[in-house]
Amino acid sequence: MPALPLASAKRHTSKRVYPPKPAQVYLFGTCLADTLFPQSGLDAIELLERQGLEVLFPQGQSCCGQPAYNSGYEDEARVVARHQIKQFPLDIPIVVISGSCGGMLRHHYLDMLKHDNDLEVAAFCERIFEFTEFLTCVLEVKLQDQGAPERVALHTSCAARREMDVHITGKALLEQLGQVELVEHDYISECCGFGGTFAVKHGDISGAMVQDKVKHLLATDAVRYVSADWGCMMNINGALEYQQEAFRGEHIASYLLRRTRGDNA
Amino acid sequence: MNSAKANILAKLKMQLPAATDAALPAEPAAAPEVRSPAQNVEQFVRLLTDNHAEVMRIKRAEIAASVKTLLQQRDINQLMCGSGWVDALQEIEGEISLNTFYPSIDGNKDTLFNSVPAAITGSRCAIAATGSIVLWPDASEPRSLSLVPPLHIVVVEQSAIYNDFGELIRKQRWSEQLPTNAVLISGPSKTADIQQTLAYGAHGPRELVVLLVE
Amino acid sequence: MNTRANTIATDGSKYEASARQFRGNVARDLANPQLRENFRGAMDYLTDKRRQAFPSEDELETLRRKCQLIKQRCLLKLPELLEQLESKLEQNGIQVHWAETTAEANTIIAELIQRKNGTKVVKGKSMVSEETALNDHLQAQGIECLETDMGEYIVQMAGEHPSHIIMPAIHQNKSQVADLFAHNIPGFDYTTDVDTLIRTGRQALRDKFCHADVGVTGVNFAVAETGTLCLVENEGNGRMVSTVPEMHIAITGIEKVVELLDDVPPLLSLLTRSATGQIISTYFNMITHPRREGEKDGPKEVHLVLLDNGRSQAFADEELRQTLQCIRCGACMNHCPVYTRIGGHAYGTVYPGPIGKIVSPHMLGLEATKDLPTASSLCGACGEVCPVKIPIPKILLRLRKESVKAKGEPLVVKGQGCNRKPLEAGIWKLWSRLNTSPVIYAIAMWLASRGRWLTPAKAGAWTRVRTLPKPARRPLRELVKQREQRREGQ
Repeated sequence: MPALPLASAKRHTSKRVYPPKPAQVYLFGTCLADTLFPQSGLDAIELLERQGLEVLFPQGQSCCGQPAYNSGYEDEARVVARHQIKQFPLDIPIVVISGSCGGMLRHHYLDMLKHDNDLEVAAFCERIFEFTEFLTCVLEVKLQDQGAPERVALHTSCAARREMDVHITGKALLEQLGQVELVEHDYISECCGFGGTFAVKHGDISGAMVQDKVKHLLATDAVRYVSADWGCMMNINGALEYQQEAFRGEHIASYLLRRTRGDNA
Repeated sequence: MNSAKANILAKLKMQLPAATDAALPAEPAAAPEVRSPAQNVEQFVRLLTDNHAEVMRIKRAEIAASVKTLLQQRDINQLMCGSGWVDALQEIEGEISLNTFYPSIDGNKDTLFNSVPAAITGSRCAIAATGSIVLWPDASEPRSLSLVPPLHIVVVEQSAIYNDFGELIRKQRWSEQLPTNAVLISGPSKTADIQQTLAYGAHGPRELVVLLVE
Repeated sequence: MNTRANTIATDGSKYEASARQFRGNVARDLANPQLRENFRGAMDYLTDKRRQAFPSEDELETLRRKCQLIKQRCLLKLPELLEQLESKLEQNGIQVHWAETTAEANTIIAELIQRKNGTKVVKGKSMVSEETALNDHLQAQGIECLETDMGEYIVQMAGEHPSHIIMPAIHQNKSQVADLFAHNIPGFDYTTDVDTLIRTGRQALRDKFCHADVGVTGVNFAVAETGTLCLVENEGNGRMVSTVPEMHIAITGIEKVVELLDDVPPLLSLLTRSATGQIISTYFNMITHPRREGEKDGPKEVHLVLLDNGRSQAFADEELRQTLQCIRCGACMNHCPVYTRIGGHAYGTVYPGPIGKIVSPHMLGLEATKDLPTASSLCGACGEVCPVKIPIPKILLRLRKESVKAKGEPLVVKGQGCNRKPLEAGIWKLWSRLNTSPVIYAIAMWLASRGRWLTPAKAGAWTRVRTLPKPARRPLRELVKQREQRREGQ
């Protein structure tokens, strides 16, 4: 199923004007990476630092509020959203290492907090960048691939694809890696079935979806898949492990760092 | 006013905020594709052909002969037509038996459905953008002529091809006068309701032959 | 409702029971590999056709925006346009009837038929008549009501409901249709050849068109400016049903009215291209009068039944009102990963898929449909393809919110608060506290990482097909702090 890279890239660039490269950025680590997969957060910090940026990680940050928001508990989510906004006071970009948290912070905060004039919600939302989007569109990074030749697949989260409209940027980054060949799996734009509480509330439907996603990924000759969203990866990797497959996904921050650092473990 | 109407309207009106449609942004104008008259003809023919219609490009004087040939190719020896066609088709009367429509469909449905293999109608105009033929059936060419017989032959004037449906509606001022029934026909009847497999002749004509007159 | 629990309802309320069975239906249909294969194949076909029908993304976006605004304008003027439509139609000789409920609509239609002493009805495709369970109602009155759209004909023969709003029999493959014909059509020579199957249906139905007393259809667009009923179709059965019998009854939802004839071409283009990838349907049928003096065919009487059935509830809320922009193309279900897997019947509602999830709560109440808003990963595919830009994922979120609303809040959706459980509400309160207190959050992270060996091997539905990850040895916040401290020490 061919994507529409050119058209989307055009749509994408027409939507957002990017600032020049800043000296400092915030990292929004996301609660999933914080709790379960911290290495990807550290790797993202290292990658950003190698671009000459100072990375600030406010210790007061927690969850973006998406779980409650998606469950219909908007009041509870709103309180959490206000809290997050206060943790990032400086007028510098906030880089988010997950597309769906990015979508929440950038788009849903605007809706949820439309009556909070004092918080400068719009300005906060405008400072939100998904990780691959930031590397590509703000930093315009040039990556030097140090790794051995290999084929990888890319899974882009639905939020990155449809809410943030940044699926083109993950692809663009991987395409900079000279020794990496990107392979496209069938039904590439279809959801992996995670959907937060959906995976628990409707486990059988979600299970059918992730089983198909795994099947399509395994059908490629890629050695791994790369993604910028731990929600999807927790789902897909969990299904792969359950099926006792060796194939795994790696967060794009870790993958890019590994490839460009030369420690191709 | 019956109570259902009053209740529905009351519910809608009560809920409608003071906002009017003036609050909505302007509707963008869709840029129509620009085609020359010749390109319009090409497109019309191509789309209809893609949609499984047979298009014959002929001169006006060739209508009767073309009709005769295409009927004979299909072993059909009778044709139903509107009263307006009797004179024009007179020359084939000997080989093809011409019948005009009944005084009324009432009481004649059985024969219409079971004993009329083909019908010919004219058309009001046509649309290039979608490959559509526009019919405004009337007393002389009733609606079922283009619907019930398995073969529908339709005569289209090349000079009456409009760019698109929107342009046609505006130029002919349809909003001021619409007939009992207007119909756009863009091919023979078809369905893909069984396993997405296209089959022609679902309920309407199995075959649509367009005589495109220069 | 309970008083008729033991009788089969012959109006739309019968879907309340089937919608409640959602979870059981899902389990049943997910376990049916043939069904899943049929849906996957059909959805691949339809999504591919749609993609080919929109070669220019710019053109598509302009057209979507235009049609979104057309529908929003028409909704803002809805009461006025309905009155204009009624008066225009009546000037044209078409009689208009209003129904608040499905039962009222059925009664109106049955009375019209009975007044003509009609016993045989042929029906063109109409999802609104599915909404009212018109077939059941008429059959209970001794009136034969035969579906004539090929897909609907198959579905009716099988004693089922449409599993898709555009392609009703999409859940069956040709062998299943052939088996069905073999059981139901005397003299059918078994074959799976689709041309022959269609010819068989055609033959059976021609006789029915010929002898029917009344034809019933839906409406795609009702034009207020001219008093015109527009029907979109490929087969010709809609034309048959609205041309051959002496009476034509059209039924539609109140949201189908458009203001101007000029509004029709863009909506039509978007509808057929989104639905089946056709630049136009084979027939576009515009009905403005009953048979007039001197005309030789066409129905002598034409009626329009305007149905509310919960639409005015959706209308009352600015966000939910967008639900009524729908032009019933089915693109949202064609692109939905949930619909593709569970199929159309699992929903238990008349309208399946994403649009079904947001429209059915207004028709059946949120209580009967309480599992629908959550049965979505919010992947956004539906909103991305919706021709009139209905923000379906956002409306799903809104319905989730309505379904967990506390008691005593103003009524927005009938059945609101149906999913509210004190325990769950309490958990989210706690969660909110946890995520707004850096100290508590840090302690929780500390506990989770140090207690990672306590992670259970099984965690409900999650671990039926996946493993559960353990918390990391140290949370990111601690590792970042250590890293900063190391640097400061250097």
